[in-house]
Amino acid sequence: MRRAKRSTTKPTRWTTELARFVAVFLGVMALLAGLWSFLAPTYSTVVTWLARPLFRLFEAPNVTVLDARGAEIWIYRIVGPGEIAPFTWFDRYTFFAVIPLLALLVATPGLGWRRRLVKTGLGIGALVAAHTAYLIASVELSYVAIGLMPVGAFVARTLDVWQVGVRILWEAAPVAIWIALTLLAWKRLLRKLKTERRDEVPSGDALRVSG
Amino acid sequence: MDPMDETKDRHAMRSRRYRIGATAIAVAAAVALLVWVGGNDTVMGSAQTGLARITSGILNLLGHRTVVSGNTVSSGLFGITVVTACTGLFTTGLFLIAVLAYPTGWRSKLLGAGLGIGGIFALNVIRLVSLYYIGVHLPGFLDSAHQLIWQSVLIVFAVALWLLWAGRWTYAPREA
Repeated sequence: MRRAKRSTTKPTRWTTELARFVAVFLGVMALLAGLWSFLAPTYSTVVTWLARPLFRLFEAPNVTVLDARGAEIWIYRIVGPGEIAPFTWFDRYTFFAVIPLLALLVATPGLGWRRRLVKTGLGIGALVAAHTAYLIASVELSYVAIGLMPVGAFVARTLDVWQVGVRILWEAAPVAIWIALTLLAWKRLLRKLKTERRDEVPSGDALRVSG
Repeated sequence: MDPMDETKDRHAMRSRRYRIGATAIAVAAAVALLVWVGGNDTVMGSAQTGLARITSGILNLLGHRTVVSGNTVSSGLFGITVVTACTGLFTTGLFLIAVLAYPTGWRSKLLGAGLGIGGIFALNVIRLVSLYYIGVHLPGFLDSAHQLIWQSVLIVFAVALWLLWAGRWTYAPREA
């Protein structure tokens, strides 16, 4: 009887909470994904603007030239005096993770609007930083991979690991940022759920005794 | 304070520290394993080929005549290539790290790991099959479906699956 009560009452509320979370996420995603083609050029311009001075900082001499073309970022390499050659490009979906991040933040339960807005600002800032770091790291690692940049024996031997690590960070960034920003809200919710469940056990016993 | 209570507190504290340490080591090992697997061509190649074969098998069951060549599934109509990012390895790895990091018992963690591996794998196969269909019937929509829709669906699926597990199938360790 205790088991039946456990699986029918409280978990249903959690499932409802999750269903609401998923529904809001998908709704916001659908809306924002439609706007991405308008937002992407601005986002790419911001990342390019931030990355340019950082490339100058990391490269000696600075050989990378960035060009935000609409939603894409094109990377050129200086190959001679006044001469550049296209090296690679990042397509319009490279930075799309900002949309799932926004949808996750909007869908998270238990946050007031002011706090949600602050967290959204922080989240976007952190993701822009992560994307800028990704852009720089992946270009520099590509130079290393094709022998355009000399590195130490250790980095050369572990190049695959670095490339995979950068890829994982790029993929995990929106979820990791979202977790960092909403961990407390989820902890509160899970703690409440567990307390309710714990409190439920004696009442189940009482029911069994009285029944 | 009662000396017995003090001893109990000390034990609880030690046990908590041990649990946090063990979890940190497990998470670090999982991250290292994920990076190693992701960079290992043999493992990734096998995963890609295996996934391509499963996708092709399902498509053939559904009446298509697809063949597998390496990590590419193709028919006379359309072809898809399963690359590293298509294996769901990173999503699964991150899910497992989140399961390991959550403070609960090892049995619950095993259940979470099973749910994550099975669930994400199943959804990934559905994703590949659906992308083949989209490629055949709605080729203009393929890019959006691949990059926008499925990427987001995978994220919310993994997050919701983890939350479902954390809310329903975990318990707070006694000392916590």
